[in-house]
Amino acid sequence: MTDPDDPKPDGGTASRSERESPEFEDHPLEWDEPENNDLEPDERASVSRPAQKDDDPKLVTGQAKYTADYEQRFPDLAHAAVVRSEIPHGYVTDVDASAAEGMDAVHAVLTPWSEETPDAKYTSAGQSYPEPSPWDMNVLNDHVRYVGDPIAAVAADDAETARTAADSIEVEYEEDDYVLDPEEAYSEDAPRLFDDDEVENEIVGHDYSRNRMSRIDGEIGDVDDALERDDVHVHETEWETIRQSHAQIEPHTSLAYTDEDDRHVLVTSTQVPNHTRRQLAHLFDIPIRDIRVSKPRVGGGFGGKQAMVVEPIPLALSLAADRPVIYEATREEEFHAMRSRHPMNVRARTAVTEDGSIEAIDLYALSNTGAYGSHGMTVAGNVGSKPMPLYSKVPNARFEADIVHTNTPQTGAMRGYGAPQGTLALEGHLDEVARDLDLDPVEFRQRHYMEVGDLDEIAGMMGGEGAERRIRSCGLDECIERGKEAIGWDALEQPDEEHRHRGIGMALSAQGTGVAGDELGAAQLMMNEDGSFHLHVGGVDIGTGADTAFIQIAAEVLGCEETDIVIKSSDTDVTPFDYGAYASSTTYISGMAVKKAAEDAKGRILYWGSKLLEEPESNLDTGDGTVYSEETGASVSLEEIGYEAAYGHDEREHILGKGTHCTEESPPPFAAQFADVTVDEETGEFDVNKLVVAVDCGVAINPGMAEGQVEGANHMSYEMAVCEGITFDDEGRAEVTSFDEYDWPTAAETPTIESILVETHEPTGPFGAKSVAEVPTNTVPPALSNAIREAVGVRITDMPITAAKIKSALEADD
Amino acid sequence: MHIDCTINGNERTFEVSKTDLLLDVLRRDGYTGAKRGCDTGACGMCAVQIDGEPAMSCVTPVVKVDGATIETIEGLGTQDDLHPVQQAFVDNSALQCGFCIPGMIMRSKALLEENPSPSEAEVREALSDNLCRCTGYKKIVEAVLDASERMADRGVAADGGRSSDRGDDCRCAGATGKTGPDSRGETRR
Ligand code: FES
Ligand code: FES
Repeated sequence: MTDPDDPKPDGGTASRSERESPEFEDHPLEWDEPENNDLEPDERASVSRPAQKDDDPKLVTGQAKYTADYEQRFPDLAHAAVVRSEIPHGYVTDVDASAAEGMDAVHAVLTPWSEETPDAKYTSAGQSYPEPSPWDMNVLNDHVRYVGDPIAAVAADDAETARTAADSIEVEYEEDDYVLDPEEAYSEDAPRLFDDDEVENEIVGHDYSRNRMSRIDGEIGDVDDALERDDVHVHETEWETIRQSHAQIEPHTSLAYTDEDDRHVLVTSTQVPNHTRRQLAHLFDIPIRDIRVSKPRVGGGFGGKQAMVVEPIPLALSLAADRPVIYEATREEEFHAMRSRHPMNVRARTAVTEDGSIEAIDLYALSNTGAYGSHGMTVAGNVGSKPMPLYSKVPNARFEADIVHTNTPQTGAMRGYGAPQGTLALEGHLDEVARDLDLDPVEFRQRHYMEVGDLDEIAGMMGGEGAERRIRSCGLDECIERGKEAIGWDALEQPDEEHRHRGIGMALSAQGTGVAGDELGAAQLMMNEDGSFHLHVGGVDIGTGADTAFIQIAAEVLGCEETDIVIKSSDTDVTPFDYGAYASSTTYISGMAVKKAAEDAKGRILYWGSKLLEEPESNLDTGDGTVYSEETGASVSLEEIGYEAAYGHDEREHILGKGTHCTEESPPPFAAQFADVTVDEETGEFDVNKLVVAVDCGVAINPGMAEGQVEGANHMSYEMAVCEGITFDDEGRAEVTSFDEYDWPTAAETPTIESILVETHEPTGPFGAKSVAEVPTNTVPPALSNAIREAVGVRITDMPITAAKIKSALEADD
Repeated sequence: MHIDCTINGNERTFEVSKTDLLLDVLRRDGYTGAKRGCDTGACGMCAVQIDGEPAMSCVTPVVKVDGATIETIEGLGTQDDLHPVQQAFVDNSALQCGFCIPGMIMRSKALLEENPSPSEAEVREALSDNLCRCTGYKKIVEAVLDASERMADRGVAADGGRSSDRGDDCRCAGATGKTGPDSRGETRR
């Protein structure tokens, strides 16, 4: 058990005053860790070993099935196409679908007024119930608010015919004024997107007279007071982020049919099967039990599929056409009518004393949520609540955000979930402050950042009472140390040419692991008579390797080979409940449920082992596919136990285990990012020589997979720093409709990314794990901005960082 | 109209319309390994090899493959017996969601046939028409470099008398800068 008086291996102690304070009682450092959770590296048989990803052989042979690959199984499958708004704002006054309806191969046409079109309001955000997003949209809309808003849908024999039919539909509009810029939208005389009666489930701080869907704020201490003190300098900077596309390679795809039991089945590429089922039940007024959502392999999500974006359309069409219907979004629709990251302007202010002590941090974000409000409030909340806790030692802190509508496509959840926007502002700002004060940027941060034992009150500031968290694992020091070494911090050589300059920038980041107090994962395990297992998990593998991590966790507990476990995940008819794959929760929440289910089954296995070995259970443990006695060395195989339990003479049992996990905890993983850049001061052109990111993810359940997550996230972060994102013309039409136009870095344009896993032990996570996949999404924009500042002295605050911007900043400097 | 072609070693005849694209015909026929990521030739998810050359099947009119030899991901190894490129992707943790992987593997295989021991820069260049959103490319590039070595090793073994039953392997076999005299890849045999 942890002794708070002992210095932690990863830095920090809890002071006596802290331990005696009431906060410490509510959030004790001691954690009653479940049995066998704290295994030393050499005691681990499956966890922390490079297990092959469970589905890899299927994936590399093209045998894995994604939603679109199910087409073959439905001979009478119809394909959907959607008619989308051509105008940024207005009312649909008439839809003439007669040509489409008259076409031979067309099976159904739906408009906003069709009987089969659900008319309930909803949000596409796939969140827990009740959703912290407004119900402000319909499946098909007659009040359209962006170019791309769905108006009508068609099902036909094949995709091409469906498209032709959709194109033949004529829509008449009454056009309205529109607004694309968030600052303009947030004024009283801007065109209004919503009347109050058009929204249900309104969100705190909404003011539709100014297009505001929400306003949030939180404060600890007294920030204004600190800003006005005589002994501080007030620094202020402003930052702007791009509208990043998820660009997940598999488009949103969903197939709906009604089975022989009159149950409605969705095979769909989603991160949130259970939320989708509940939302469909609401929209279609069908009992939850009569809807089945099944997730095959998913070709990437990154938050874009933490949303019910397309599912209602094939379901409505399949009901209308009385046959299975598949809807596969086109790549063009992906860019202009699915989801994207909220673009934001973030202002950072700090009050800092002459000797470099930060007295207050004040962040303000203006978030552009686009036409509808899905994830708008919660993403904005994370702009403050993820990066600010890094500096939990700062006594005064405030975060405020206004989330406004514009006539642009809908934004949504995306990897990092607000943290990238806040991290750019805070880490870019602090770097600038350190320079102003002539302080070493690393040392300046180290003076203020969190350590083991700290109470993170900033999480509570945004999350409400009780959401504070105690920091029980923190590897920031080691992340910085190893990152510095890998990037060559102390031995930087300048290029020979005088006009080229090299610099290294760094940035820190923290995230959460799951949503504190708002998570649920569950798992079941059943044993076969040959000693193998079926593991049923609600947790959702969207390509991250979660299924493999679940298997490794179960195998570690059961003491069997990973190949002895067959996993089935994410089919609402078969697998237990789960909130879904988001908020970096999968390994931590669903993984803990798996661990509990395995422990539960292990209890029964030991019972049978004790019967067969005639030794008390307390002597026994599992390992190498057996139950063995630590006392006598005797053992019995899991297979013998399986047969005995199933076919025994005096007693029989199907060995089953179940586990459910919910928690108030959300431990932060940490990252230190470094970017090495060479800038040409004549042209502004820059080469990113190397990116290094060191991540404290607790224990990595599968190190190879975890590194892959870090590298992929860092690439996405790099893209946010150098790519323009989705842009619009003056009429709100997306200018990016293809991969060629969405100019993200290819393999040849990607700098070397070095990932470093820093192992700590998070006592609240399965075998010490916390999350890994989001925190490295946050850090490249500030690190790159800082590196360029270091190299040539100019500061780029609006993303993307381009040669032209650097050049004009250099010219302005002269 | 009729077209005849060879897919993964099997002679096939298809009834197609002039405007059909190869990807649609393949997928309709159950070859769902090639994926649809864009339909405009911009992502590489649908890559196959036509007469040994990498090609984006989503923009290839099916009439163009009349008489051609097509290789798809289904024609490489099986789950129990992976092709060295496939095995290298698995061993290097080079895949996550896997949606890009069939195209990546077909493109990598084509690269290694043409240039059995590419440099890292050459691999990155060759893979630039194939997008991957999950991996950040690093592990994919490592996998291709690893596959290049494995195929070279396998070539040496084949030279030493263990014959490989795959013609395509033989073409690369023994032809790397390490084992062969000519890094451009003319086989040593
Ligand atoms: S689907 Fe063919 S290149 Fe994208
Ligand atoms: S592994 Fe997902 S796109 Fe490459």
